[in-house]
Amino acid sequence: MTCLNDIHIQALADGEGTDEMRRHAAACAACTARLREREALMAQLRVAVDPPVEIPALLSERMDFRLKAEATRTRQRTAEATRSRERTAAGATRLRAQSRSSDFPTFPRSFRLQAEGKWLYGALAVAAATIIAVLFVAPSIRKGDATVSAAEILAKSATQLSAAPATGVEVLEYELVLDGVPKEMLPDQIEGAYRIWQAIDHTVPGRFRFASYTPDGRMFSSIAEDPAAHRRVAAFSAEGQAYRFDVTLPDGARNLSLPEMQRLHMQASIALMQASGNQLLETIDGPNGKLYRIEVPHVSGPGTNPLWDLSDARVVIDSRDFSVVEFAVRGAFLKQAYSMSYKLLKHVTAASLDPNAFNVPNQAGEIVITGEGSAVPSHDVFLLSLRELTKLKQGR
Amino acid sequence: MAGSTEAARQLFQAHGGAVYRFAAVLVRQHQDAEDVVQETFLKLLRHLEGGGDTSNIRGWLFTVAAHAARDRQRARMRWVPWLPAHEPRVQPPVLPDEDGRLKSARESLRRLPDRDRLLLLLRAQGLSYREMAVAAGVKPTSVGQLLARAVDRWAAARKDGNAYDLLERHSHPGAR
Repeated sequence: MTCLNDIHIQALADGEGTDEMRRHAAACAACTARLREREALMAQLRVAVDPPVEIPALLSERMDFRLKAEATRTRQRTAEATRSRERTAAGATRLRAQSRSSDFPTFPRSFRLQAEGKWLYGALAVAAATIIAVLFVAPSIRKGDATVSAAEILAKSATQLSAAPATGVEVLEYELVLDGVPKEMLPDQIEGAYRIWQAIDHTVPGRFRFASYTPDGRMFSSIAEDPAAHRRVAAFSAEGQAYRFDVTLPDGARNLSLPEMQRLHMQASIALMQASGNQLLETIDGPNGKLYRIEVPHVSGPGTNPLWDLSDARVVIDSRDFSVVEFAVRGAFLKQAYSMSYKLLKHVTAASLDPNAFNVPNQAGEIVITGEGSAVPSHDVFLLSLRELTKLKQGR
Repeated sequence: MAGSTEAARQLFQAHGGAVYRFAAVLVRQHQDAEDVVQETFLKLLRHLEGGGDTSNIRGWLFTVAAHAARDRQRARMRWVPWLPAHEPRVQPPVLPDEDGRLKSARESLRRLPDRDRLLLLLRAQGLSYREMAVAAGVKPTSVGQLLARAVDRWAAARKDGNAYDLLERHSHPGAR
């Protein structure tokens, strides 16, 4: 055999040579020397291009989380496929006694999404409806059984929503962080963070008051409606100027109050979540005990052009009293991105409330616009503003 | 299914570091290297859940990582590189892989053609010629020849890493 070429030498250095090559290399001093040289070069290569660098700790943590999340998604897909085949209401997200998600990272309180357009009422209503869903629904869920499933919780939620309280006044306080369309549509966007107070009088259908406050405690907006008194007042500030729209409501003008619309929206959303069959219910360890965590990774309306799409919805519920600890959702409504998160501060139901609590307080220097209203508050604001503008123009 | 997750985690513990080092030298951005690792092991999980072949999992991992790195590099080419001059107020972050060792490894390879770099890295990870052929997308019978040339170029580049433009020479073989 003639002396080995470079390819043969390389193969021998890599342990890929044939027996014939090995025999020649062993017998030929020149080839042996070339082989030793190549082996040394390959050793240098290994040292040079495979440096002893440890994998970043954060990457390890992220990988651990992603593997779990991927496995969870696979479970969900499998469960959904099974459910669609069997067409049972049992669901595949039955809560197991053992917690497996305590090391899941907490989700941010708000998601940053870029809105491509503005469509006020739909997005706002969806955001508000989702809040109401949690506020009304989650606290009502109480189950003494050893296990509970997300499907069961949603079914109970739908039942609860269709049976609104008949009497009493509900008072709610919560922190709200909006992003996307809801934030951009609000005048004087204050970082999208608000503190909300709302009262709903169930003894007088349609009577309610909402108020939002900035982080520094200043009232940002408020709306109150009392069908019995035929009156609606809406107040807000825009570019530093306070406005107050005080309108009378003619008989029959009232269709649905804001809370009622929210409740209906929520019923639709619950139905959407139920239809997805893609919920995940887990337990996690909180500072004060066990917490329930319900996640809906992705929900779309039927068809290729969904009206409403939730890309993420997550809620954490205290297992002791089923109160909501945290909540976050993001998605799109009519292709407009939105996201929101909230933290419940207070939720009480009282037999009655000071009547003044349903009055919108006056703001310093506010411009008051009065007139006859309609069933749609935003329509009134728009129309009455134009009328005032016309008066001013004609008066000149 | 839980078994697959646990198996993937164990394989990540065993091979994650090697795949990371492989990717970190292969791609130019350390974030890309991390993404390559993540993509590789997520695919591994699906592979395991699907009952895929596990007889040569190390070769499988580097093949997937090589393809992921190639895809990522191609995607990078579609982006305009961000220049520090565009944002002088922001200090460049200290990257975990830029303390000298990976940087040195990258520099010793950066003048080589992509295929040479890939073959050298695969060989340094101990892959056989057959595994390298699959990962690099070359004929198994060509691996020895291509690798021998790649090693020669790398050795030459180390001797004269300054102006020794191997990429250009590789593009014009007749100039040698």
